[in-house]
Amino acid sequence: MNLVQQLINGLVLGSGYALIAIGWTLLLGAARLVNFAHGQLYMLGAFAAWAAMDRLGVSYFLAVPIAVFVLGVLGVLLQLMMLRPVMQQNLTSLMIVTLGFGYVFQGGAARIFGGNPQTFVSPLQSANIRFGEIWFTWQDVVTLVGTLLLFAVLWLVLNRTRTGALVRSVAEDPKLAQLFGINASLVYVGVFVFECAAVALGAGLVAPRSPILASMGFDEVILTFVVVVLGGIGSVGGSLLAGFGLGMFTALFGALVSPAYTTAAAFLLLLAVLLMRPRGLAAR
Amino acid sequence: MKKFATPAALLIAALAYFVPALSGGAPVVYAACTAIAILAVMSYGADLILSYLGEVSLGHTIFWAAGGYAASLLAVNAGWNGWQTAGAAIVVAVVLAGVLGLATLRTREFVFSLVTYAAAVVAMEVTFNWSFLGGSDGVVGVPPLELTIFGKGINGAGDAALWPVAWGLLMLTLLFIQRFRHSRLGTSALMVQMNPDLAQALGVDARAVRFLVFVASAPISALAGWLYAYQRAYVGPDMFESYFLVLMLTAIVIVGRRLLLGPLIGTSLIIVQQTFFSIGGDGDKIVLGAVLAGILLLWPRGLIGLWDALAVSRRSSRPRPSEPTRS
Repeated sequence: MNLVQQLINGLVLGSGYALIAIGWTLLLGAARLVNFAHGQLYMLGAFAAWAAMDRLGVSYFLAVPIAVFVLGVLGVLLQLMMLRPVMQQNLTSLMIVTLGFGYVFQGGAARIFGGNPQTFVSPLQSANIRFGEIWFTWQDVVTLVGTLLLFAVLWLVLNRTRTGALVRSVAEDPKLAQLFGINASLVYVGVFVFECAAVALGAGLVAPRSPILASMGFDEVILTFVVVVLGGIGSVGGSLLAGFGLGMFTALFGALVSPAYTTAAAFLLLLAVLLMRPRGLAAR
Repeated sequence: MKKFATPAALLIAALAYFVPALSGGAPVVYAACTAIAILAVMSYGADLILSYLGEVSLGHTIFWAAGGYAASLLAVNAGWNGWQTAGAAIVVAVVLAGVLGLATLRTREFVFSLVTYAAAVVAMEVTFNWSFLGGSDGVVGVPPLELTIFGKGINGAGDAALWPVAWGLLMLTLLFIQRFRHSRLGTSALMVQMNPDLAQALGVDARAVRFLVFVASAPISALAGWLYAYQRAYVGPDMFESYFLVLMLTAIVIVGRRLLLGPLIGTSLIIVQQTFFSIGGDGDKIVLGAVLAGILLLWPRGLIGLWDALAVSRRSSRPRPSEPTRS
């Protein structure tokens, strides 16, 4: 095992985890909404980009923005449907509702795109960079840089702009924010659209690594659970750190111990942390 | 009126015993009825958590699978009979629920759901990779269920032979749920869910209540899995599939929470649709998911809420049962 190579793998994996988790982190922080359809949204993002390339014949670089747009529109529709329980903060119902949506997406995608695995090809995936024994692809570089940029932009928007202040005030106390004339439902829609668009971007960058399947939903993003909770509920910086930490853990555990039990080990880590800190590492 | 509601509900469930025979005794009817009874019992396990603790357990597939695996492994490898495997299923479920219950003791709401879900993923991965549990192939060749008292009883495999057992298990479950609702634990659980401060003021230990209800719920789903293993003569990692999870939750919310027959009617509606009005596996997924999301978005209290709304619009004087709101 080459340690440097594994560290690079961990960095690449971690940036993917963080990128896929970013939308959910914001959603959880701002709307306290747990979206169990997140995995299926990732799957839909990947299939939207794949369909744009396969059916419309556009290039990869146009297909990803198309997928981001399509998922953003879907996000508006979903949030409008869920607006009543979101405004009431009926979190138990919402969790189950999103689970139902996820199941609909899975069945729907299998009907529209078929049940067979598809290959979603990125031209950057086959462009390697080598330094002796060590290698990575341009796709990895783009994912890493894209993740860091998106996190930086999100952090700046949340903490340095008026829009960010609105989101933070609604997250703090939706009723009080409304008393001050803030349209909380608009903020919720915006946050949800961001989640859908961000996960589509994540799918566009991460999904080309392996074949895509209508049933992949939860399996592919299962580790974002860990990122979101470990990072601390709704903490943007925390989820970036948790993403990279988890990437390193996965790469090293897979190489040193056993690739088959990597997910189980990550969840045992999560359980152990939650036993000590029930609200996550970066909890206030 | 209200006084007779529970005996009437139990009587209706008891009379359901004759449904397959009265409808002609076709194999497909026996299969559907047995499946409904088994899956309803599975749902009652999760119902205890969702209806009475107000939490969403996404980990009850663990107990469902644990019951199935305990039965299969012991029946295949050790030749245990039905009573012995049932006992083992209960013990395994209680132990697993004890561990998971302790691990989630301090978690609430979505953290509880995430952790129970995470536990289910770990359990599936372990099951899939551990050759002791049959790995990805599962355990095949489960012998016919042997369930006898003083030489009399059941020794069978087919759906028609298993129907009395499935029905009996369902009735036992209903009686247990009925007892639970009126037990000290059941009323404490409702109080902890609806007014935690009051519960604390009255000296109710919320954590102990949550832990005990969680542990009590596990053997119910496990016994359903136990019978499912005999019905299919096979168990595999597919018992962890989200189908069962979505089915449990849909069955509970479709009619309305905290109704004795709610999960049974919900399961019946779902299985009847999937058996007799199926539009293909993927189509059925869309139906199941859409029903789950649609019910909660349109009539959050389930179809019973729709019924009340209709009754109110007909200017009936029936008062609306109040729904606990969670903040």
